[in-house]
Amino acid sequence: MKYIDDPHRLQIEIIKKTYLISLLPVLSSLIAGEYAITLGFVFGLLIATLLLRLKYNNIIRALNMEEESAEKFIRNRYFLEYALYFLVLFTAARHANLNFLAAAVGLFMIKFTVIMWSIIDLLKDTFQRQIDEYK
Amino acid sequence: MIDFSPEVAATIINTVSYIAAGAAMIAGMGPGIGMGFAAGKATSAVRRQPEARGPILTTMLLGQVISASTGIYSLVIAIFLIYGI
Repeated sequence: MKYIDDPHRLQIEIIKKTYLISLLPVLSSLIAGEYAITLGFVFGLLIATLLLRLKYNNIIRALNMEEESAEKFIRNRYFLEYALYFLVLFTAARHANLNFLAAAVGLFMIKFTVIMWSIIDLLKDTFQRQIDEYK
Repeated sequence: MIDFSPEVAATIINTVSYIAAGAAMIAGMGPGIGMGFAAGKATSAVRRQPEARGPILTTMLLGQVISASTGIYSLVIAIFLIYGI
């Protein structure tokens, strides 16, 4: 994966790629006239982006701590993030203008992007190795 | 075969749904414990090799982003069970 030595740059690249991939569902739901899906998706995606930033800041803070306090700190922060995820999904479930499934998919988009990026990198490496062996 | 009235059947289904939602929420605890463990080990790794801080931070960030998804899956399932969306 590119930018493995620069976490800040990697984070920006992940967000850029996620938004680029998210254009497809957003535009297709807008064209289909399903505004609840668009709103739910954008809502989930924005919260996922903010939570990624929060996670990054938490990790930077944790790396300056002792081992035990870092463990407790990250565990406690995870449960706070979990409560935020619950609030987002609960709001999407209760609100008629937000599609629940779209909000859930929006929350997952960053994870899908990271997994897809890793798979593409793996395939590229395998292909490149085979070409090098053939030469 | 026992015949239940519709009200009793609905109550049983609701009760079982709430119990299942509670059971699904147990899955949310696992990632938190795992992430905390990983963070502790990453901290000691940075102490040992300060020059590897960048790759450790990146690996930890990606690992935490991916591992949080199992917790969200359980949350989605629990909300599905409670609200029957």
